[in-house]
Amino acid sequence: MADYNLSRLNFLIVDDNKHMRALVKSILHALGVKSILEAGDGADAFKELRHFPADVIICDWSMQPLDGLDFVRMVRTGTDSPNPFVPIIMLTGHTEMHRVMEARDSGVHEFLAKPISAKGIYSRIRTIIENPRPFIRAGIYFGPDRRRKENPNYNGPERRKADKGEVEGSVGSISDKLKDNDDKAKTKAKAKAKDDGDDGGDTPELSQDEINALLNG
Amino acid sequence: MSDDSETIQPPTNLQNKVEKGGPGAVDLDAIARAEKVIANLAGDYINWAKEDLIKLENAYAKLKKGDGDQKELLLGVFNVAHDMKGQGGSFDYELMTAVGDKLCRLVEKLDKIGPKEIEKIRVYVDAMQVIIGHKLNGDGGKEGQQLLMGLEVLVQKS
Repeated sequence: MADYNLSRLNFLIVDDNKHMRALVKSILHALGVKSILEAGDGADAFKELRHFPADVIICDWSMQPLDGLDFVRMVRTGTDSPNPFVPIIMLTGHTEMHRVMEARDSGVHEFLAKPISAKGIYSRIRTIIENPRPFIRAGIYFGPDRRRKENPNYNGPERRKADKGEVEGSVGSISDKLKDNDDKAKTKAKAKAKDDGDDGGDTPELSQDEINALLNG
Repeated sequence: MSDDSETIQPPTNLQNKVEKGGPGAVDLDAIARAEKVIANLAGDYINWAKEDLIKLENAYAKLKKGDGDQKELLLGVFNVAHDMKGQGGSFDYELMTAVGDKLCRLVEKLDKIGPKEIEKIRVYVDAMQVIIGHKLNGDGGKEGQQLLMGLEVLVQKS
């Protein structure tokens, strides 16, 4: 396997837990990343973005006072956002279905479930490199196209006429590992989605493979 | 989703900044090295977890004493347990991830707290202390599995 050289990419790590930042930073260094900046919360990170040309942001969800979702929304839609298009990987232990969808709808590119591994981080970076997605402005949403695949069997109404054909480039380009696990995970994710009603009870957490399958349609 | 949505191509593309292959490219060795880096941090992890346990104990003591805003204290317990859940598995402490998750699940459902709930939190915090004190990595082996089973029984009883 020979993959991508990440040495020219600038990474911004946003996490209020210094240990987690240290862990992510160590992994990125070992993967050959040279330029890494850390921020302890969303507000700090937003300030840093004004002078740090981040190519990828790895951002935790639970932070005070500005949490990960607020930060993503600020980056995407803030009138003073220095870099609304920057790819963002949401890193979190919140892996219930509704949380994954909430993160997606805030404008993140990828979702990485804790506990993390080097393979997991690289896999998400690789997906961002290999699947550059156009951005969509629709209603209050601004962010990467949430449709990652065209469904040839879809017979329903075209809800977003202006976006016809926008995701052709991303068809079939998920990582090899995901391809192996895709069908199995998708079935599981759908089964969990069915169970994940609005009854206010426990919602099951998804594995990384199930999250990937869900986000990939 | 409305018909007036707009598609915009981002001005930059990461593919222009990365090369495939060649010296410095990520390969299986690089992934293995990165995993080794994580393994080498396992010693630090024990210290991080000990720091987190102190925070948990402090929040627990305040909850028990009825000292401070309960909601805030519960959120504090949740946040620390959530961090511990998130970190454990990265360092081969899957048992910590499992117990941390159980504590998160307990606390997130609580809107008020009484002696029963405080006792349940105590049981989970004790279990986390045992995992770190005895360095029960992986699934904790026999001792770990007994701990998990014991937790279930104690929590259901209380």
